[in-house]
Parts: sequence; structure tokens; C-alpha cells
Amino acid sequence: MNGASTMKKFLLAGAALAIGALSSAAALAQSAASQTILIQNARLITSGPQGVIENGDVLLRDGVIAGVGVDLAAPEGANVIDAAGRTITAGFIAPFSQLGIEEISLDREANDASPDPGFPLSAALDSLDAYNPTSSVIAVERAGGITRALISPQAGDKLFAGKAAVIDLSGRVASVTKANAAQLAMAGYSGAARSGDTRMGAWAMLREYLSEAASYAANPRDYLLRKREDRFFISDLEALGPVVAGREPLIISANSAADIRNVIRLKSDYSLNVIILGGSEAWRVARELAAANIPVILDAMQNLPTQFEDLGSTMANAARLQAAGVTIAFFNDGGTPHNMRLLPQYAGNAVAHGLPYDAAIAALTINPAKMFGVDAKLGSVEIGKAGDIVVWDGDPLEVTTRPVAVFIDGRAMSMENRQTKLRDRYKDLSKGDLPFAYRGEE
Amino acid sequence: MAVAAIAMLAACGKKGAESADHGTDAAPGAETSAVEVAAAEEPAKPADLIVRPPKDPFPSTYEPYPSKATLITGATVLTGTGERIENGAVLIVDGKISAVGPAASVSAPEGATQIDAKGKYVTPGIIDIHSHLGVYPSPSTESTSDGNEAVSPNTAQVWAEHSVWPQDAGFTRALAGGITSLQILPGSANLFGGRSVILKNVPSRTVQGMKFPGAPYGLKMACGENPKRVYGLTGGPSTRMANFSGYRAAWIEAAAYKKKWEDYWADAEKFYADEKNDSDKKGDEEKKPPEPPTRDLKLETLAGALNGDIIVNMHCYRADEMVQVLDMAKEFGYKVATFHHAVEAYKIADYLAKNNVCAAMWADWWGFKLEAYDGVRENISLVDAQPNSCAIVHSDSEVGIQRLNQEAAKAMADGAHIGHKATEEHAIEWLTSNPAKAMGIADKTGSLEPGKMADVVIWNRTPFSVYALAEKVYIDGALMFDRDDPKRSPRTDFEIGQPGNGFTGGAGQ
Repeated sequence: MNGASTMKKFLLAGAALAIGALSSAAALAQSAASQTILIQNARLITSGPQGVIENGDVLLRDGVIAGVGVDLAAPEGANVIDAAGRTITAGFIAPFSQLGIEEISLDREANDASPDPGFPLSAALDSLDAYNPTSSVIAVERAGGITRALISPQAGDKLFAGKAAVIDLSGRVASVTKANAAQLAMAGYSGAARSGDTRMGAWAMLREYLSEAASYAANPRDYLLRKREDRFFISDLEALGPVVAGREPLIISANSAADIRNVIRLKSDYSLNVIILGGSEAWRVARELAAANIPVILDAMQNLPTQFEDLGSTMANAARLQAAGVTIAFFNDGGTPHNMRLLPQYAGNAVAHGLPYDAAIAALTINPAKMFGVDAKLGSVEIGKAGDIVVWDGDPLEVTTRPVAVFIDGRAMSMENRQTKLRDRYKDLSKGDLPFAYRGEE
Repeated sequence: MAVAAIAMLAACGKKGAESADHGTDAAPGAETSAVEVAAAEEPAKPADLIVRPPKDPFPSTYEPYPSKATLITGATVLTGTGERIENGAVLIVDGKISAVGPAASVSAPEGATQIDAKGKYVTPGIIDIHSHLGVYPSPSTESTSDGNEAVSPNTAQVWAEHSVWPQDAGFTRALAGGITSLQILPGSANLFGGRSVILKNVPSRTVQGMKFPGAPYGLKMACGENPKRVYGLTGGPSTRMANFSGYRAAWIEAAAYKKKWEDYWADAEKFYADEKNDSDKKGDEEKKPPEPPTRDLKLETLAGALNGDIIVNMHCYRADEMVQVLDMAKEFGYKVATFHHAVEAYKIADYLAKNNVCAAMWADWWGFKLEAYDGVRENISLVDAQPNSCAIVHSDSEVGIQRLNQEAAKAMADGAHIGHKATEEHAIEWLTSNPAKAMGIADKTGSLEPGKMADVVIWNRTPFSVYALAEKVYIDGALMFDRDDPKRSPRTDFEIGQPGNGFTGGAGQ
């Protein structure tokens, strides 16, 4: 290691100190892209070919990972951070959420995630039209180690929800990683409930939409010559164009083994790129899913017969899917954004029920990156990838562990958010010279 | 944006139901009605002619299952009284805790089962003060949705136990998470949701077979958004001020009802005393005994809360509302035992401690509605940091109840990050002795002390870990769950024979 005197040394000895140091690091780094940071001596879980590196170093330069290894030399002018005793992972990726489009779930004025019943459009709805990068939820989740997320609309009373996008959690205006990253559709009981309360209706209508989208894509002019009452909304069909072309993933909400078999058939019939969302009984179809190359975004905590489609729910779902070769990731609470930060806890519980540790980390990093086609840039600590790095004060999957530093595109992120400010305002309740409303911005 | 109807009712966040319920102090059957007495062969004693509504008409039939004397040794024992014993021992005899101490100080009686728990942890059984298992069971269908009588803002007359479905698979999953006792509450759609019931987490054909013997009843009340949301378009309350006028009008009525009965009892006692004195006088104009008031189930529960028989559980998120509720309790002379959810408790942790009120909280749920917008991860820790505080970790969730230990672990870690270091032996009280105290059962369970019910969990490691699993769960000394023995793992009627269950099955599914 290089001991150049120009280096600015920051110690990660304690969480408070680290937060302070990194805030100043962030302040120093207004011209973020040009910043160079060397983080040293950490347990480095790369999610990549280098596996786990003890006493590893990561070099961030110009927003990307410029070095990964042991005893890396510090470039001139680099900020050097000693992370001895810490663990580093790639930033965690939430594979399904309403981050930035849902501030408060039950407040109509502060929730844009789904249209009211009767609203005509569905697949055409674009999460990015509602996306607010300064939503207070984003900074809260970021402080929990989440650096990127798929943001998706929720379905109203139609089968398709709309267009999902991959964003980063920097809070910047330019935080869209990938637009049109996926489309969401409802099958299983969620589909039936929107299709005359029968799965027959759901599958017939899903096929109808996909066929019409293919028909429109093949010959838009002929389609427009049809009588208006025979047409679907053009904007919905246009949105489904890349889906039926197999270019854009179609996330399908399905849980029972029978519904999942239908999804497998649908994928084959229409040559789709399909991802299962939910999948409580996916373990019963694990080999077929692996053979059909269908990944599953699953709720690791689903172990109850919540509906009749969930009778086979088990905490062993993740482990069994992984063992069969299925690519998995986790979501929770239907995508409600407020506790995306608990994804590591869910992965940890999957480990407690048999999922190999490395596979659990992959489910939080490289797997979701692969699902949405952003793995060339995201999902592992590898040279050339985006500088999304989280420094943890212990085992990242352990419930008592917290991030001490989060980097997105090579920039140190503030660990403050509305919650930390509220906490600081009220942590001492003794009466001051002024009301509490004057505290917290000093 | 569309908001699902069920979610809107979510009193608590997800499913939204709460109830409060409290058992009577009287032994089952201690009170008899005049009607029963009239049918008896023996001539009635005057005192028996006084009508007293039965306090326990659906008495517990729970009896502990057979247990063997069991000595657990070598574990780290967290007693639930703030103590930690390394290389400790817990001795269970006749379903009770018989001895707790360093391993060397406790010896096994002849024939006792000995369990080497070296490297493991032993804690009291976990207690969830806020559950809707049974009233919002799995499967969650229209047919099973029995947690909110959302037809009127005051349904103090309903009792959660009449909705509890004992075949809810959630009970078995909770057992695998170490839950040995739990309070089932009606939902929070209403200002007064009804009575709760406290259960032992033992499978049974009947609710009575699960009822915690001698546990008090509770009353479930709700603040804020839920009642005004549910009744805003159907006659109100549609505002928070109407929430309060609704509570207060009900308390006024309940106080009058209570007085009517007290007056009747005083008159009746006097009458029968007089009659006895005059019993051989013939020819006098016959005196009529005083007429008892007509029973009113709604007012009976509220009167029970006013006289302290029924414990008040108040669903409340916002700090300002909680403090107003405390003033209202003073106005009518009742006590709020616990604020449930209390997402803003950290803002008034000093008030809560001074008023001797518990706060039952999540570790990190927030943002699902505006009154939950100010949640902070340090809430539990900041409440706990006050002198004489009573912090409780609750679930309000069929998922969360399976891992209250993890919720406590998160709260502990977040507290430590701001300098409130809680030890494991202290933090375990948030989910054992503190809820027991708040539910009125602390004399029977909630800690590992000689004479208490042997509700005990053996964990494979510190419970304050994501990897922790309850290995063995004892209820009244009986081994009700053993992770290594499928025969010690209950399956509900609903799940048995279902695809998947046979292969995976059982409590830890």
C-alpha cells in the first residue's frame, strides 16, 4: 500500500466516525466522477469470479470500480479508507418495488403506484412518469444498503400494470439506470380477480393481449383499420411490443404450481422472456423452471397457506429453487417501498432454512442484475462495473448489521435521511430554550 | 391510486384488526346467575338471589399436556428478569419452573430428562401482545375475515374469541418461532373494537381449549386514521375530533351503566338483608325485590374497563393523540395499559414512562399511512431508555410473529448505534416479561422463575440473530415443538392432506 502524504485518510473505526468521515468525503466529492477512493482491508464479497477476498481492497475511480484485490496501490490524490473489520458487498438491488412512486401507501395523494378501478390504460403506464427521485423513502432505503431498484407500477383492475424501470438510489435527477426494464402482468388469483374471478378469464385475456400486441407489431396499419370497438388501446399494445418480441422481460405474478406451469407454457408459446413474481409453490416446479430458464423473485418469508394458491408455501422454497438451478431474488410486502432495506434479513432467513450463503448474496446482487439485463454494469464488485459498493459493520445478512458507508457510481452517499433527523431531534427529550421544531438543522 | 379495501382496514398496517380482551380475575364459574340458582334444589341464600352477570361464560378448558421432569443444562439462560446465566440450568417439574441457576447449582431429580444445551440459549416463551391469528387466519378469504366488525364505530360488545378459528395455520408457525402466549385483538376499524382474548399457543379443537386460564380480558380501542376512514362516509366519525367525542360519549354512558348496577347491588343487598330480618312476618304487604338493570354487552365491557377488570389496549400512532388519550383516561378514571403500534412513541417516551404506560412497537415498519410516516428505527430503544419504561416488541402480523426475536435484535442494534446499549438479557424482556406485565399474566408466565408456568424456548444460538431457530418449545412443561422431531410438530386440520404440506409440513414449514 502506498503511504503518499497527499492521501486523505479516513478511518472506519466506528460507525459514527465513519458517517462523519464519509459526509466530508461526500462534500469533497462534488465533482463526483473525478473522485478516486481506495477502500482497504475489508472482507470483500464480490458476487463475481473473484469470490470472497479477505483483507481486500476496492478502488473506485471516475464512478466505476477500477481495482479489486489485495494490497492495491493508492493512486495519487486518492481518498484512502481503512475498512479493517468491515465487510464489503456490491450494492444490493431490490428486484421489485414502488420506490419513488409510492411515498405513503394508504394516502391517495401520496401514492402513484396504481390506477383506480376503471382507469382505461394498463401496459402503457410508465413508472418513470410518476418517479420522484427525491422521495424521502429512497434515502431511507439507501442507508440500508440498497443502491438500485426495479420500480414497477402495481396493477389496477387490469391484468397489466405498466412499465418498470431500474433506478439508482442516489436521489439525483439523472438516476434512471434503464427505462422499459420490464412489464408486469397478473396471473394466478391476482389475475383471476381481475378477469371475472376465474383463472380461465385471466389466461384467456393474457393471451388475447399478447396476440393483439403481436398482431399490432406485425402490421400496425391493418390493426388501425379495424373498427374502434375491436381494438385494444394502441398505447398498451405498443408497450407490449418489446415484450412479445422477447426483448423486454415480462414479470408475471403467479404462485401455485399449476399457474406456474401455465407461465412456462406461455413463455414457450409466445417466446417471452419471463420472470415469476411470488412463486410460493415454485419449488414444486423447480426443475421445469430451471429447464425453461425462468427466474423467480420470491418472498422468502412466505410459509403460510395465505390463499389456496399458497398451500405449498415453505421457508425452504429459496433453497430448493437454488439447488435446482433456478435464478432467484427476493422481494417483500408486495413491493411496498418502505422496507426494501430488510432484503438482507429475508436472505438471511433463507440461509437459516438451507440456502447457501453465497447464493443468498447473489440473490441480492448479481441475480437481479441479470434478470433485468444490467449485469454488465451492476451486481458485482468487478473492474469496470459501476461503483456501487456497501461497507457493512458485520455480516450483511445479520439483523444486527448496518451499513457504515454506501457508494453509488463511485460517490459516497449521505447516510442521513428524514428518519435519522427525526431521531436526532427527539433523542433528548429534556426541555430546551426553544420548542423541538427548532432542533435538528444545526 | 387504488387502495385495497382490506389494506384500508388494516388497523395495524397489514391486515388491520385488533381487539382487546381480558379475562376475569374470578375463577371460571365463580359467578352464577340468578336464573341458574332458581333451578337449583337447595333453597337459595339471599346473596345468591342478587343478579350478577357472569364474568366468564366461556371458561378456559385448557389443561397442560403431560410433561416430564426436564433439566436443561449448559445454555446461556436469559431469565426475562434482566439476568443472564452463562452455563446455566433450567429445571422443569410438573409443568412449572422448579429451579434456575448456574448448571452446577441445579441437579436433576431421578428419572428427569436431561438436555445438554451447551452453545444454545434458553429464554422464556415469547409473548405477542398484538396478534390477529385466528380472527384473520390463513387462508385469508372473505369467509375467514372475522377480525373487524366494521359496521359501527363502537362494537365493544363483540368478543374476539368468538371469531378465533383454532385451525389457523398461523398458530403453528408462531409456535415454531417460540410463541407460547399471545393476545388476539379485534381490528382497529372501530373506536371500540371489542374484547381481546389471551391464548396459550396450544393447538385445540376449541378456543376454550386455548384460553389462558385466569388471564384478564382486554378492550381494543383505536385512534386516528382507521375509524375516520371507515366511517367517514357513513355517519362518522369522519374527523379525529369526532373520534374523541365518540370515545367520551361512550365512557359517559358506561359510567352511568356501571352506577346503575352498583346501585342495584347495594339496594339488593340491603333488601335481602331486610327480608331475612323480616322473613317470619306474615301479612305485611309483600315487598318486591329490586329489579336488576337490563344487561348490555357493549356497556358491560366498557364498565369493566372503567373498573379495571378489563385491560385497555389502545391502537395509536401519533404522539399528540396518545397524550390526549391519557388526558381522557384521567377524565373518566380508567387506565390505558398499552399503546399499540406507537410509531411516534419516541417523541413522548418521557410521558409514557411517567404515566406508567407500555408501548408495543415494531422495529421498523413505517410509511404505510401518514400517521406512520415518522417511524424511526430507534423507536423501541428510545422508549426503553427512559427510566421505568415498558417497551414491548409486537407483531400484528402472521409473518412477524414468527420472528419477534429478530425484531428485538434489530431494535437492540439500532439503539446501540446511538449509544443506548441494551444487553441481550434486558432486550429479551421486550418480548417476554414486559408483554406479560401489560397483559396481566406476569404472575404466571413471562420469565424463568420458580413457580411460574414452564413456558420455555431452547434456541440453537443467540435469539438475537437472523440465523436463530427455536429448537424446542415447552408450554407448561410439555414439549409442544421440536424442530428435530416431526411428531412434535402440529398440523392444522386445514393443512393436513394438502399438497405440499405432507412433504414439507408442520409448524416450521
